[in-house]
Amino acid sequence: MSFCLDTYLQESENYEILISRAGFKECKQLIEKHAPEIIHVKAGEKILGVRIIGIPPIAIGIDENKGTITLPYTKPCYGTSVVELPVDKEEIDNIKALDIKE
Amino acid sequence: MKKALILLGCPEAPSQTPMAVYSVYKLTSLGYQVTVASTPSALKLLEVSDPQEFYVKNKIDIESCLENLEEGSFDLLVGFVHKDAAVSYFVTFYSILNTTSIAVVFERDSEALENYVESIEQSTEATIVSARAYHNPTPLRVKFDRALKKLED
Repeated sequence: MSFCLDTYLQESENYEILISRAGFKECKQLIEKHAPEIIHVKAGEKILGVRIIGIPPIAIGIDENKGTITLPYTKPCYGTSVVELPVDKEEIDNIKALDIKE
Repeated sequence: MKKALILLGCPEAPSQTPMAVYSVYKLTSLGYQVTVASTPSALKLLEVSDPQEFYVKNKIDIESCLENLEEGSFDLLVGFVHKDAAVSYFVTFYSILNTTSIAVVFERDSEALENYVESIEQSTEATIVSARAYHNPTPLRVKFDRALKKLED
């Protein structure tokens, strides 16, 4: 079964919300400051089973040592949050392949 | 038949629901088959406003719509933007659909309005209809009509 971010956030506690109910630009800056490695993806790219919402290029943080990714998560009435969550190495490689290499 | 998608944001601004119904009416009269994508709460407001689906015939949840959206799914995108999150949603739908688009941007606060317009201008080639509006949809309606007329000419 494929991974789904929405389901994961509802059913797990193994993630960290770095900021919530924020603006997209603020979230992008936070990701770029927080993660040791950054890739950028197109708006609407599917990561962990959901389309990433935002203004491209969208920053996704990667921490290979911790085995986590950090990404923006937007809902219409609640603004944008930044979530850091653990993912396996294969998924990190899949996400890296989406880098649009600015 | 040409297909249009109307993208609604958070329904807390009173202008959004009447402008949504009006936009469906206008686009239908221009020959579009119109679908409205919205949150469940925005959908409730539409259902009460148009109980017999006289105007709004096709409705879809915004998340399901986004999940299955592909380039070419619609010929026209009209997005209502009055929050930062709505800017992100509009730009994302625009990026996937890659089609003619109109952003209807409205806010009470002029600085926020300017920021939303600037973000959309920098990320898309959409036509932008913007007004300082919250309760009163008239400034938006007038500018939206002008944008549609320009689109049709």
